Amino acid sequence: MAYTYLITGATSDVGTALIDRLLDGAPSDTLVLAQGCGDVEKLAPLCQKYPGQVRPFDVDLSDMLKVDAFIRLLEQTAPVPTHFVHLPALPVVNTRFKNFDEERFARDMEIQVHSAVKICRVFVPKMAKAGFGRVLFIQTSYTIGCPPKNTAAYVMAKSAIGGLVKSLAVEYARQGVTVNCVAPSMMETHFLKDTPDLIVQAAAADNPMGRNATPADVVPAMAFLLSEEARFITGVTLPVTGGSAIV
Amino acid sequence: MTEQAILDAVQEIFRDNFDDDTLVITRDTCADDIEDWDSLEQINLLTAIEKKFSIKFKLADVRGLKDVGDLLDLVKRMVG
Repeated sequence: MAYTYLITGATSDVGTALIDRLLDGAPSDTLVLAQGCGDVEKLAPLCQKYPGQVRPFDVDLSDMLKVDAFIRLLEQTAPVPTHFVHLPALPVVNTRFKNFDEERFARDMEIQVHSAVKICRVFVPKMAKAGFGRVLFIQTSYTIGCPPKNTAAYVMAKSAIGGLVKSLAVEYARQGVTVNCVAPSMMETHFLKDTPDLIVQAAAADNPMGRNATPADVVPAMAFLLSEEARFITGVTLPVTGGSAIV
Repeated sequence: MTEQAILDAVQEIFRDNFDDDTLVITRDTCADDIEDWDSLEQINLLTAIEKKFSIKFKLADVRGLKDVGDLLDLVKRMVG
């Protein structure tokens, strides 16, 4: 079976690392449908490295009409995805709840949750019909146990993702579709651009392994959950935390 | 830069951060004296101070700070 990976948030540091991991040594008919928003040029090196195997799509996932158009475009021009990986999120803003930005939260929910629901509603039933599918989300270790203070918006959106994962997992388990999450601890990527250095340093110092996660730590776990071998694992949130959050 | 000048600038940052134009800090002021001074506000204060004085704190520098006096001493050492 030729694999078609639909990856949203593909232009992130994790997204590009994941694409490279998935396509390295893969059959030439493996295809990645890669969504970014205003930054698809970040996919250029991958397009050059894997000619014809990476199709970039520039889509604003906070606009549901554009999400609908994106889905229609995929239906008309691409094979049905065998895998769906949903990575997009707005960067974490550490702020007290009294300063909660409802507008930003609503936008983050559109990007992280509502767009995923729309995409899943169309493609997960098709995966089920085909008898195979892998769906993977990126959550956060903040949803494991006690979250840090001042991250309500981020934790709520990520918790909604967790609910979606568990619900889809049980609903589609018999059709060969698995639905899982990875939950990294603080990961040093461009995603932290709005996070003060001192918070990043403190997270590294407090981690049992003495450092923060990197895409190189997280991508192999993602690749495993997307693999054929992970067929009996569904509905799980896999911590990738260096021990800073343990289920 | 004199300690008084540093104190004045830091006080402005505290006033702005805690949204209180009447706030007066001294060397002895600590987190127990200001209700909203928690770990997040500590980071916000330090980040604002970094920007104001064009300095960059290391975690080890700031973990042992007990009060404003320690903070002023640290800033003074860093700005020279």
